[in-house]
Amino acid sequence: MTDLSHIRNFSIIAHIDHGKSTIADRFIQVCGGLAAREMEAQVLDSMDIERERGITIKAQSVSLDYKARDGETYQLNFIDTPGHVDFSYEVSRSLSACEGALLVVDAAQGVEAQSVANCYTAIEQGLEVIPVLNKIDLPQAEPDRVAQEIEDVIGVEASDAVQCSAKSGQGIEDVLEDLVRLVPPPEGDVDAPLQALIIDSWFDNYMGVVSLVRVKQGTLKVKDKVITKSLGRSQVVDSVGVFTPKRKVTGMLRAGEVGFVVAGIKDIHGAPVGDTITHASTPDVDAVPGFQKVKPQVYAGLFPVNSEDYEAFRDALSKLTLNDASLFYEPESSDALGFGFRCGFLGMLHMEIIQERLEREYDLDLITTAPTVIYEVMMNDGAVVSVDNPSKLPDPGSIQEMREPIVEANILVPQDHLGSVITLCIQKRGVQKSMQYLGSQVAVTYELPMNEVVMDFFDRLKSVSRGFASLDYSFVRFQEAKLVRLDVLINGDRVDALALIVHRDNAPFKGRALTEKMKELIPRQMFDVAIQAAIGGQVIARTTVKALRKNVTAKCYGGDISRKKKLLQKQKAGKKRMKQVGNVEIPQAAFLAVLKMDEK
Amino acid sequence: MTSSQPLSGLELPPLSLYVHIPWCVRKCPYCDFNSHKAEEKIPEQAYVDALIADLKEEQQFAQGRRLQSIFMGGGTPSLFSPSAIDQILRSAEELIGFNPNIEITMEANPGTFEQKKFRGFHDAGVNRLSIGIQSFNEQQLQRLGRIHGRKEALGAIHMAREAGFTNINLDLMHGLPEQSPEDAERDLQQAISLEPEHISWYQLTIEPNTEYYSRPPTLPVEDELADIQQLGEELLANAGYEQYEISAYARKGSINLQSRHNLNYWRFGDYLGIGAGAHGKITDIQTQQLLRRRKTRLPNHYLDTKKAFCSETSVLTAEDLPLEFTMNVLRLSEGAELESFKKRCGLPLQHLEPQLSQLKEKGLLANDLQRLKTTPKGQRFLNMVLAEFM
Repeated sequence: MTDLSHIRNFSIIAHIDHGKSTIADRFIQVCGGLAAREMEAQVLDSMDIERERGITIKAQSVSLDYKARDGETYQLNFIDTPGHVDFSYEVSRSLSACEGALLVVDAAQGVEAQSVANCYTAIEQGLEVIPVLNKIDLPQAEPDRVAQEIEDVIGVEASDAVQCSAKSGQGIEDVLEDLVRLVPPPEGDVDAPLQALIIDSWFDNYMGVVSLVRVKQGTLKVKDKVITKSLGRSQVVDSVGVFTPKRKVTGMLRAGEVGFVVAGIKDIHGAPVGDTITHASTPDVDAVPGFQKVKPQVYAGLFPVNSEDYEAFRDALSKLTLNDASLFYEPESSDALGFGFRCGFLGMLHMEIIQERLEREYDLDLITTAPTVIYEVMMNDGAVVSVDNPSKLPDPGSIQEMREPIVEANILVPQDHLGSVITLCIQKRGVQKSMQYLGSQVAVTYELPMNEVVMDFFDRLKSVSRGFASLDYSFVRFQEAKLVRLDVLINGDRVDALALIVHRDNAPFKGRALTEKMKELIPRQMFDVAIQAAIGGQVIARTTVKALRKNVTAKCYGGDISRKKKLLQKQKAGKKRMKQVGNVEIPQAAFLAVLKMDEK
Repeated sequence: MTSSQPLSGLELPPLSLYVHIPWCVRKCPYCDFNSHKAEEKIPEQAYVDALIADLKEEQQFAQGRRLQSIFMGGGTPSLFSPSAIDQILRSAEELIGFNPNIEITMEANPGTFEQKKFRGFHDAGVNRLSIGIQSFNEQQLQRLGRIHGRKEALGAIHMAREAGFTNINLDLMHGLPEQSPEDAERDLQQAISLEPEHISWYQLTIEPNTEYYSRPPTLPVEDELADIQQLGEELLANAGYEQYEISAYARKGSINLQSRHNLNYWRFGDYLGIGAGAHGKITDIQTQQLLRRRKTRLPNHYLDTKKAFCSETSVLTAEDLPLEFTMNVLRLSEGAELESFKKRCGLPLQHLEPQLSQLKEKGLLANDLQRLKTTPKGQRFLNMVLAEFM
């Protein structure tokens, strides 16, 4: 059944909550990929964090056998994609393995900016985009309006779009029929030299490195001797197969197919995502044009609370980077926090998820410093340096010019909420580039400092628009800006891990807001704790956390011991995620105070 | 997993006995002790019989020692009749034996019903009475759910004196709901004016499993609590009461009026515990082990002859001991001799390191080569000191 004409490789583009995972679950059910008892809601979101947060972080694939109405059986290879703005790079990776994409839109909510951006990526990569209207069973569903909106906003014909409800199962087979009918079969020659694109790689404790690949040309079999183009190291293939979504060994993958390869690679950097696998005998075959390695947008220092955990932390990071090509890290040492790593993330959600995975899956207790974007600094001698760490900003006297990254933000918002979205953009130093009315929605484009966008802009945007506005953004350029380093001093000592780069005009306000917020977040200690914000040598704000006067349990007799012990244990647990800086215990929350300054 | 370091060099410390009487007329909203609202008739005789049977099983743990103190707590032990108390004490003397100068304390409510029995308790052998006054403020007493009023509170100590008691403790709380520093001062002044030998002056804490925990009252803010603490300590010192433990004050004089029973807890001594939910701590000299024993909690189960008294015996490990020891001895102003850690815990002093040196450096423990004790600052932040030994 590996006749190429009966293979369909596709992805699903959908905004969070628009029902992608549920549709995927239905496909698996219709095609009998899992027995009913094995169905667990959102089977593809295999990480706990994914299920809990209701989002997809990692790309995954499922091969399903679908018996179509024409009587033929087709192999449908679904490559799942994440939906959050932070993870758009994963989308382009997944799309590069497909010939078609379903654009799933919530028939009650309409098109969101993220889907627009992903659709354009799909169209650019030559994919057939098939719109699907989901949640048709909701009373507030407006399929006609939303179909019109798809045409207006994205420019994809949608009048014939299938209307379905993944929840009830209505229309699901029609979607599958559309897939078979509209997505072109893959092209490729099973006898040509092997070219297989690594879509994703991850570390499995039992098998070593497992890679998800799309075979573009040729055939990949067990026992083949293969190399990756960029590394050139030869390995023997141990196992080849597909996910149904259970792992099923087939022994062979042919041009047009998507599946997994295990090649005894122990070193987790041995199978880089985006690389091309070929046979050791054909090392000169062209690399498949992969996808650009994405650059992290947000940097933060991560430090183990206990310095003994440093080695374990490094191992955990190196394991995570195999699954997550976008995670960057390099050793960093801080006067205040000791040895840790400066890590680069795609956005704040990515950062939260990485920290959560490190703590949960690797049992590490970490302190994260305030995230920052990358700045460009032109020195007096004309040299340009990148700064991803406020404490490493060169001496102001040696700086000719500082530049901050600017993004173009495309926002889709219902007309009713346009005003508050514009107000928010202006507050964040945005410059409007265009505005276009598309049916009931408005597409506005702003140029904004990336620093303002990556921190809490997305959350703020959601809250000022009652959840209706959506956002997609991309870096456009570095631009000169009046920036200064805001230092934080605790009891007179500058704490490098608390420094921030801020716009000079905002500095006095930020300094005050930051010290106030930190005062709330640092618990009272045995002595007064002075918190100062300073620029250069000049203190611009100051607060004090007054000393605790006592901390002692009043009554304690023989029989009480076990209860008092519990009380002490509770106090001790509260100390987790506190870092001692000098004499002062600073909780994790205080390091991230800058993110919470707008909260009251 | 490696097993814990075995203990060695344990010596037998003084032995005390704790007797728990689990009934109260009603349950107070701050109380998390094992107390139960009394039904119409307390099964007094059955309970006394059970206590004696329980004590027979504990007898083996005396290992030749006699009792240096007995404490009858609750609950409200003064709900029991003097003859019941008499039976308990006589059995204790027969089964374990008394040291010549044994201290026998009983907790009593200041209610009129109890006051009538004070003489009987004294005649039964009780030589120290601990009266649960808590406050002299009518409104506070009501809020605390106490069944006595200001008048009973004031009368109780006179009744006790008339009954022959020459060693009386008053239990007094501070940091009560909506209490101002002035209110607290007034309460304490009142207690001092009654000239008890001993005052337990302790801050109200909200414990889990209490009515206050589920419906928290408005307590004074942290700074007010610290003010109250400070003014109270000065007041007591000026009146001749010496603080020898976090919440315990004894009148200075020719005889030592500190609570010998509680001192034994705080010095990490041994105690047998009998009665529903009672705890005991025992040094087993033969096996070189430290044991904690807990008795079955519910009065009905305790009285059920088919059920065992003891619900749990656990062995303290070398890992538990630094905390268990410091949790007790550091409550005392005098602390403890460093050497006593070896005798009481069966471990070398290195087991207290590196915390000991670190805490000395931080000024929380006194720089004393002989004794383990807090500095005044360490005493105020005792919880932080103890957390280091976890």
